[in-house]
Amino acid sequence: MKIPSKIDIKNLNLFYGDKQALFNVSLKIPVFQTTALIGPSGCGKSSFLRCLNRMNDIVPHACIEGEVLLDKEDIYAPSVDVVELRTRVGMVFQKPNPFPRSIYENVAYGPRIHSLFKSKSALDEIVELSLKRAALWEEVKDRLQQPATRLSGGQQQRLCIARAIAVNPEVILMDEPCSALDPIATAKIEELIDELREKFTLIIVTHNLQQAARVSQQTAFFHSGYLIETGETGALFTMPQDEKTQGYITGRYG
Amino acid sequence: MEEAFMMASLSSLRKRRLKERCFRGAGLLSVLLALLFLGGILGNIIYKGVPAFFRTEISSKLYPNLLNSHARYVADSLWIVASDDVDMYYKKGYNGKLSPAQIQEITTLKEGGQIRLTFNVGFFTQSDSREPELAGIWGGLVGSCLTLFITFMTAFPLGVGTALYLEEFAPKNQLTHWIEANINNLAAVPSILFGLLGLVLFIHFLGFPRPSALVGGLTLGLMSLPVIVVATRAALLSVPQTLKEAALGLGATPLQVLFHHVVPTALPGIMTGVILSLARALGETAPLLIIGMVAFIATPPAHFLSPATVLPVQIFNWSRSSEMGFVENTSGAILVLLFVLALLNGVAVFIRRKFEAVK
Repeated sequence: MKIPSKIDIKNLNLFYGDKQALFNVSLKIPVFQTTALIGPSGCGKSSFLRCLNRMNDIVPHACIEGEVLLDKEDIYAPSVDVVELRTRVGMVFQKPNPFPRSIYENVAYGPRIHSLFKSKSALDEIVELSLKRAALWEEVKDRLQQPATRLSGGQQQRLCIARAIAVNPEVILMDEPCSALDPIATAKIEELIDELREKFTLIIVTHNLQQAARVSQQTAFFHSGYLIETGETGALFTMPQDEKTQGYITGRYG
Repeated sequence: MEEAFMMASLSSLRKRRLKERCFRGAGLLSVLLALLFLGGILGNIIYKGVPAFFRTEISSKLYPNLLNSHARYVADSLWIVASDDVDMYYKKGYNGKLSPAQIQEITTLKEGGQIRLTFNVGFFTQSDSREPELAGIWGGLVGSCLTLFITFMTAFPLGVGTALYLEEFAPKNQLTHWIEANINNLAAVPSILFGLLGLVLFIHFLGFPRPSALVGGLTLGLMSLPVIVVATRAALLSVPQTLKEAALGLGATPLQVLFHHVVPTALPGIMTGVILSLARALGETAPLLIIGMVAFIATPPAHFLSPATVLPVQIFNWSRSSEMGFVENTSGAILVLLFVLALLNGVAVFIRRKFEAVK
């Protein structure tokens, strides 16, 4: 069965000034699946991720060639509003970065700026639902008004996930969401990623190969700016087609 | 072999410890020296200035030449301010210009309980005067307030706006780089040059009335502008990039990122910078001398265009007088100015603490 693509990247080149960071990357992201991006540090996987919601726009001298089609529409077309795009493609960052406000306000911020609710109680519902989906509700329901910065690292990261899903995006990009977390918090987030797949299309950058194997259905291997190999996760890890992929996943380098 | 190595490392450790002790000692010494100088200056000013908050009064019109020179115009009141010579004699025992006969008269008054030392209300409620016993700081204080208001109203919005634009919106190119470098340099330009600029721009070119709070405030505003821009940019730079990315990633517009996240986070830094630059403007004298606020003005300014002087300029004026009474007044006015400055700095510290506690 062929799964339709949510995002279709065609011949993407990314330049930071004179330096080219991505070379001719083409990749299809299947809908309601988790795609893992793996590869050694500096291979361009985070840069690639940031192309998908145009976060590279804020980097001076960044320049992009090629097409990124989200539901068959090029997100780099002049008619696309980047603000609207980012409500459709949410992002969770490497380091938990909650706003220095209350837990409630963190989750409510997105719905607030996009006016996604009609009444205070509707907003309360969005906040509760988002926190429940991010598996954080039970831990924070009694202290929603406390500053988010007082939560532990793992809780903060789940809060960031709740914040991202509160605006009800279609795609969630995760840039090494567990790299700053301990194994227990990591396990919780991985579990969460698996559940989120029901409603969202996920793309996760990770350095942890076991994590990629555990949470993703499709894996893409990047190396020095090139997309070397992509395939169904199980197949890629057991029978890599490319020498470099094999070298990386068997731990010979990277 | 090993022993030699141990010995060498031990002696090196001892040397490093010694170096640390020397460094600590030097630091402590410099702190003590600084405190000594500061304490000396402050002690001297307090010693000289506190008597200015008290004045000698006489409840008898028997000896008119012991009273202040305006006493004959004043309607009947029980206690009349004594002349500065009497004041000095009564407070400190200086004979000054008093004749032996006058000293005898003072002694008589003292015996009759008709002379007293009381809190110098006039020092705070009256404006400048040629007579030290009648001179007060009210005019300078009002002038300072009006001037500072104009300074704040011009330098704050312009400075913060400039910094916000340069830091968050301006394209990073040669021109903005050049502008940034020049603003940084302007912050270090001697204040008297801003006085010259104010003189040419506001008085000669725009023709604003000369010793007014408006011109003074605008000139000090020019002077504060680069400082506020630099302080605000530093505060904005300290806002973590991850915070901006978090908001952008949720689909906030750059303006929402700025006003929902960047400015609130940077606000304590911005406010501290603004208040400190205002405190500097409040204590500034040189540029105001150039634009003519040095004139003798005996009435408090009624509005922004009326002739005004400010507290530091009044201190400067008084300090040029050789009369004992004015020497005292100078120190008294310095104490008031220091108090106001300490108050402003206290507000800056308070704001910083209050906002940082929220985080």
